[in-house]
Amino acid sequence: MTGRVEHGIRLGGSVFPETRVKDALKRFDWVYIGSEFCENLLDASVCAEAAGYQELGKKVCLLTPLLTERGVESLSAVFKGLKKLHRAGRLAADRLEITVNDFGALALAAREKLPFTLNAGRQFSLNAFVRQAHGIAVLNSLSLAFLAKRGISRYEFSSTGTRPVANYVSDDSPFVREKFSLTLYYPYLPLTTTRTCMVGMPYIGPEDSMRGIECRQECRACAFTVDHPWIKEKLAVRGNTVFLEFPEKFYSTAEELRELRIDRLVYCPFP
Amino acid sequence: MKIVSCFVDPAEIRALAKAGADELYCGVAQLPSFGPQESLPDMKALGDAVRSAHAEGLKISLAVNSVTLNFDPRSEASMVELLGEADGLGVDYFIVANPAMFTLFSRLKRLRAGLHLSSLQPCFNSLTADFFIRLGIKRIILPNQLSPYEAKKLFALCRRKKIETEMFDYRFFGCSYLNGRCHMHRPEYYSATRKYKGGSMCHPDMGACGMPAPGVINLSPAWKPRLGGIIKRFSERFGCGTTPRIANAASFFDFFAGGLGYLKYGIRQDPSAQKFKKVREMRLMLDLAEELRACLPPAEARRRFIEKMSGWREPKL
Repeated sequence: MTGRVEHGIRLGGSVFPETRVKDALKRFDWVYIGSEFCENLLDASVCAEAAGYQELGKKVCLLTPLLTERGVESLSAVFKGLKKLHRAGRLAADRLEITVNDFGALALAAREKLPFTLNAGRQFSLNAFVRQAHGIAVLNSLSLAFLAKRGISRYEFSSTGTRPVANYVSDDSPFVREKFSLTLYYPYLPLTTTRTCMVGMPYIGPEDSMRGIECRQECRACAFTVDHPWIKEKLAVRGNTVFLEFPEKFYSTAEELRELRIDRLVYCPFP
Repeated sequence: MKIVSCFVDPAEIRALAKAGADELYCGVAQLPSFGPQESLPDMKALGDAVRSAHAEGLKISLAVNSVTLNFDPRSEASMVELLGEADGLGVDYFIVANPAMFTLFSRLKRLRAGLHLSSLQPCFNSLTADFFIRLGIKRIILPNQLSPYEAKKLFALCRRKKIETEMFDYRFFGCSYLNGRCHMHRPEYYSATRKYKGGSMCHPDMGACGMPAPGVINLSPAWKPRLGGIIKRFSERFGCGTTPRIANAASFFDFFAGGLGYLKYGIRQDPSAQKFKKVREMRLMLDLAEELRACLPPAEARRRFIEKMSGWREPKL
């Protein structure tokens, strides 16, 4: 197993000084933009952002979250915007990928006949894989085939700081011939997520039947670290999602990663 | 609206029917479901349960809704066989989550039972609903983090396509974290300093002061003046493990008025007596909603229902 491991940086959802973006772009092949965990952060401005990064010579991956009807509407506008830019020659299809975390996003991409590659996001990959602290395992061949039929062959996970044991590597594995590749995010692993945000959602009284998640995007203010008294590790929280940080590097060469079918690493400067 | 209740022992069936259950569901050890430890031990027990349920006039669902549906290609044929066996025993519906299930069911020569989409495969929009309806789903078990307003389009689709809808009773189920996608309960990712007392990792129940002051990273200067309020809200919510709950008396009434078909209770590990009590409470709540709707204008019925249910407390055994 030879070849280069690509490197990406996730910029969506956090404040990143422009000077550091310029510096980062020199070192990374891919820029990850969009919103992975909350539909309220998704808007059509990502289309121009994607085109802008491509103009700078970067490949772009657009992250999309779990969707309600409001999110479907936002994502529909985004997809239409991307198609328009593609038709205008401002967006190359072979340098844009879209990561989905909802079957609705997958259906919408099919309906819009998007010319871009689709990936299974960190919350969606569990339909075909199980990610454990020390392992990555294909669940079954049928789920992989189900998603491959719908255009997905790349799955996204988080690093846990240790070399994972994989059930698809050895020659006698029943999954060794399955075709897929993996993206590994580091150093934050999303532990859980909620729709009702920890920082930006008003209280709901018993008489309130809410219309949707109303917020002022307070998650853009900052992320938090928490010394939870019950566990040794520090938790990190941004908006509606709780993360654990695993900064340890578990490999020394690209070949070690490629053996595990990990051919792309994505650095997240912040949770 | 009808009531669907879990059970783990066929001996519970008659009492659940008496308490007001219209349908039942369970798991069986040979087929992977969420919460496998609370499943029937074998296919024989499943057959007995189906007969008992049908004798009471109740339909019965089998949960095969493990998201992490783990099997290698050599086991595919035996999985299909087991599903066929359960279908042959007279199970009325299968509750599914992992996409592989659709392929396995398609390999059966004949499938008599209907398919229900588990809340572990979260369906928050009409496109997702339509995706699964096209795969043969006849009922969607909705996640508790969906509001009636957000579900309007989804309900319209289900009405148009004659698809049933189901939701858990807000009083007995419903974490604020997304069901099926939460790893807070997986200590393999972290190391515990002590056994949890008075709560769990996702519901620490220690209050805003129980958690040390959070550290702030990546602060946007524009938000600095409002940081104090944000920290206060964050500490209260994270310390208690309770971000605002969407599912409440008001949302239930709106779902009820909007045509939700089934109300579910699913704490399989509850003792039998607790199960009977909870199903009775569900029946009382449905009777109240029906009665108010029948005799009052909609807005007044809603107000009175919320008033009454806001004072509801779970009866002790």
